[in-house]
Amino acid sequence: MRAFRRPKTDDSTYDLNLAPMLDIIVSIIPMLLLSVVFVEITVVETPVPQAVERAVAAQEEKNEVQITLSVSKTSGFRLVVNEKGQAKETNIALKGTELDIEALKKEIIQTKLRYPNIFRVELNPDESVPLAEIVAVMDGIRTKSKNDPTITFTDVTTGKPMETDLVFPDVVFGNVAGG
Amino acid sequence: MGRKGMGKYIDKRTPATFKIQITSMVDMFVILLVFLLKSYSTSPTQINPDKNLALPVSTSSKPPVDALKLVVSKAGIFVEDKKIIDLNQGAVNVSDVDASDTNFIRALYTELDQQAQKSKSIAKVNETLEFDGKVIMQADRDLPYEILRKVMYTSMMAGYSDVKIAVMSTR
Repeated sequence: MRAFRRPKTDDSTYDLNLAPMLDIIVSIIPMLLLSVVFVEITVVETPVPQAVERAVAAQEEKNEVQITLSVSKTSGFRLVVNEKGQAKETNIALKGTELDIEALKKEIIQTKLRYPNIFRVELNPDESVPLAEIVAVMDGIRTKSKNDPTITFTDVTTGKPMETDLVFPDVVFGNVAGG
Repeated sequence: MGRKGMGKYIDKRTPATFKIQITSMVDMFVILLVFLLKSYSTSPTQINPDKNLALPVSTSSKPPVDALKLVVSKAGIFVEDKKIIDLNQGAVNVSDVDASDTNFIRALYTELDQQAQKSKSIAKVNETLEFDGKVIMQADRDLPYEILRKVMYTSMMAGYSDVKIAVMSTR
């Protein structure tokens, strides 16, 4: 009797050759490592008003609302809203020895709700205020937080009401050229 | 085991070459690749702050634009990596400012004016370029407004009135 022999078949499993893939990855990684950004740098817009432009703008906006925010390390914030020659002043005292940015945010939202079509604030920091605190103030008045009330302004081109998260995104250093 | 048996054993042995298991290594590289691709910058302008310069932190997400680079550190003021004046612990020396106008830094104005003239002369022959007076100011977070005001005032006098402050994004 002849012995039963099973036919020879190839194994259905096989090894995938990953070496070319590894070559590609090893080539890409050094290139990416060279161009990788671990710290993202952005910019904060702070246009400086030219003296002449400022004078012209002041003339043009004679009857408009002007909002000025003074920052001091000794007395805190002083928010002045000048509407048609009448000034309304609000003072926010220091919280201990630090600037009370939370109180400023609340006050600035109330001001924005009163004047929703105004987006510019003139910032006048004292000479002793460090840049980090100036940027923190600018961040505080630029956008509203989730819990703040909705801000609706009138679109200049369409005349329709629009919602925005921006409070006062246009911050100008008012005291650069004297003052 | 006789001589014949030893010969058979040597023939049956596995060959001397072997395969390295690279599957786990490829896995690791793919994870690394995804991480690097996520943090890959596509911005045309790159700002590499000096290690001695601590930029302020901000929630701003505006990408930097191509503009003149002005660095104000505690040690000095630099324009496009060229040192213009030394600062004494963040304060301008009296000899560097104008006697009649204490906000005016003479050496900084001269350099910025040169840069502005150069940009304007390029813009004259190249219509695609325009002098827009933009400057990116990388300033140390601890510097007082006093020095920044002097720098901004001088740059404004030189025609650079659109100052952008470089910050570290928290987003």
